[in-house]
Amino acid sequence: MSVLSLRQAPPERLDFLNIAPATLAALSQGEAERLPIGTTRRGLVLGDCFQVSLDGGDSLTIEGGHERLDRVGAALGQGTIRVVGDVGQRLGEGMAGGTLTVTGNAGPYAGTGATGGTITIEGDAGDHAGGAVYAAKAGLDGATLIVKGTAGRHLGDRMRRGLILVERAGDHAGSRMIAGTIAAGSVGDHPGFGMRRGTLLLGSHGRLTPTFVETGTHDLVFLRLLARSLQRLSPRHAEIAAGPLRRYSGDLATIAKGEIWAAA
Amino acid sequence: MTAWVKGDATDAEGAIAAAAALLAAAHAPVFAGLNADVAAIRAAYRLAGTIGASLDTQGAAGTYADLGALARVGAMTTTPAEARGRADVALVVGAKPEASALVAALRGGKPVRGRAAGADRQVLSVGGASAETLPSDLALLRAYAKGHLKDESPLNGIARALYAAQYGVVLYDPAELGELGVEMLQGLVRDVNEVTRCFALSLGDSDQDRAVVQVSAWTTGQAPRTGFGRKVPEHDPWRFDAVRQVSAGEADAALWLSSLPAARPDWLGALPSIAIVGEGSPEAVPGTAEIVIAVGVPGASAGGVLWNEGRAALTYRPGAGGGPSAADVLARIEHHIAGKDS
Repeated sequence: MSVLSLRQAPPERLDFLNIAPATLAALSQGEAERLPIGTTRRGLVLGDCFQVSLDGGDSLTIEGGHERLDRVGAALGQGTIRVVGDVGQRLGEGMAGGTLTVTGNAGPYAGTGATGGTITIEGDAGDHAGGAVYAAKAGLDGATLIVKGTAGRHLGDRMRRGLILVERAGDHAGSRMIAGTIAAGSVGDHPGFGMRRGTLLLGSHGRLTPTFVETGTHDLVFLRLLARSLQRLSPRHAEIAAGPLRRYSGDLATIAKGEIWAAA
Repeated sequence: MTAWVKGDATDAEGAIAAAAALLAAAHAPVFAGLNADVAAIRAAYRLAGTIGASLDTQGAAGTYADLGALARVGAMTTTPAEARGRADVALVVGAKPEASALVAALRGGKPVRGRAAGADRQVLSVGGASAETLPSDLALLRAYAKGHLKDESPLNGIARALYAAQYGVVLYDPAELGELGVEMLQGLVRDVNEVTRCFALSLGDSDQDRAVVQVSAWTTGQAPRTGFGRKVPEHDPWRFDAVRQVSAGEADAALWLSSLPAARPDWLGALPSIAIVGEGSPEAVPGTAEIVIAVGVPGASAGGVLWNEGRAALTYRPGAGGGPSAADVLARIEHHIAGKDS
């Protein structure tokens, strides 16, 4: 297991786009230490901020995270990255596979554009977790994003595929969703604002937008399948899916093929 | 030229040398405001490219609400002159546009050109009562327009009026609506265009953000919040938010460019800063920043190309005298820094 240990709090935001286990495995100690990660004209390299210890394997641990570490695990294709501490924006951006775990909190846009793999945030996530960045086609796009704490506003904004599982989320969860599934213990006001398709499974929620209409209680095979697929990730969310649910259809302002399942 | 360094009046050369020294010592400077004529905005992008600074604008909240929705769903827009000349139905969204001169002119006039010429003009409004419910009012209106909801509510009446119009115009303030609201509104406009003509018209603040968007696009290919820290222009609306960068302690120097009148941002005193402000403005005082340089006000005491709200274009505004220009001050700061580096 390769280890990067943070020497001290970074003086600027650092870009981890090029720091992946597969990249590091092909490099010598010196080459790895010279990888540019700075974002200002200081021109910081990996060795300036981290103690580097490589073993050529496909797992990487970042000891000592910081909220200034951007794009950790971005474009990860395989292998494992574990961050002990916090990370900044765009955790796992465009990730295609592998496992990414953060023991602390994540900044905004975690899992944006991620097409595969599993991202786990053990603390809180910022705004737009699983949401799309400026001018991007979609947010989460097939990966699994798990937030054990609280996610900010606009969770899964414009997500297109995949699963988001959170304990709590702020306002506008699932806004402008294209498709995909979000399961949340509780969310704030206006979940699903402007959603086209997709499924929100909510333990509780704030105010609903008036463009969602209740369509009654149903006993659908889909819900049993959803409960079963959630069971292996989070029994608590599976319980919500298995319990009595009210269904709302919306957002009527769009093509209205989305649905909110709220615990009755 | 009027200039102050650390509260003491000085000449132009002294202030420019001090500004160059301040910026040359910084690792991650931010340029904010950019509320100036096109020449000054261009000079600011050139200087930022030289020293690796990032840029942000005065009205970024509204600008990015519009740009974010534009990037996602596109936009169908018109100009104030076309709205006055052709619109037979105007829909005022939210409370802020009510204060604009254009809305007053629309209420007082009739369409004189096009298919609706001579007809009466209906001016409707939605969502002015509460900013809280504004996006959901828009969503409801769009649901009525689509025919997904049907009843006798006033919103249904508004939706039908937009469909019955020869030329509808929907006026809004992007900062009040937010990106979600603007996207919903552009979707509504697009839906109505399946049947008749309908356009959105964004009424921003009076700052020069529209000019910055154009200069930034032709200079960097990107929207305004661009950083040059890694030599190439990088666009990131979250990372280069000036307020965020200052409060997170990431920026170590600031240059606030506002040769047109604007309120000084609160955070300017939090870090070493330079203010380039219009002469005679309330901000042209020694306490505004560590280094303050007063320059000609474009369109008043100096000539300059500005965003023309009425014509929706960049036009030259003549000025009275030969006051020092902000573009010249920025170019001289750049020369100073380049001279020291070589």
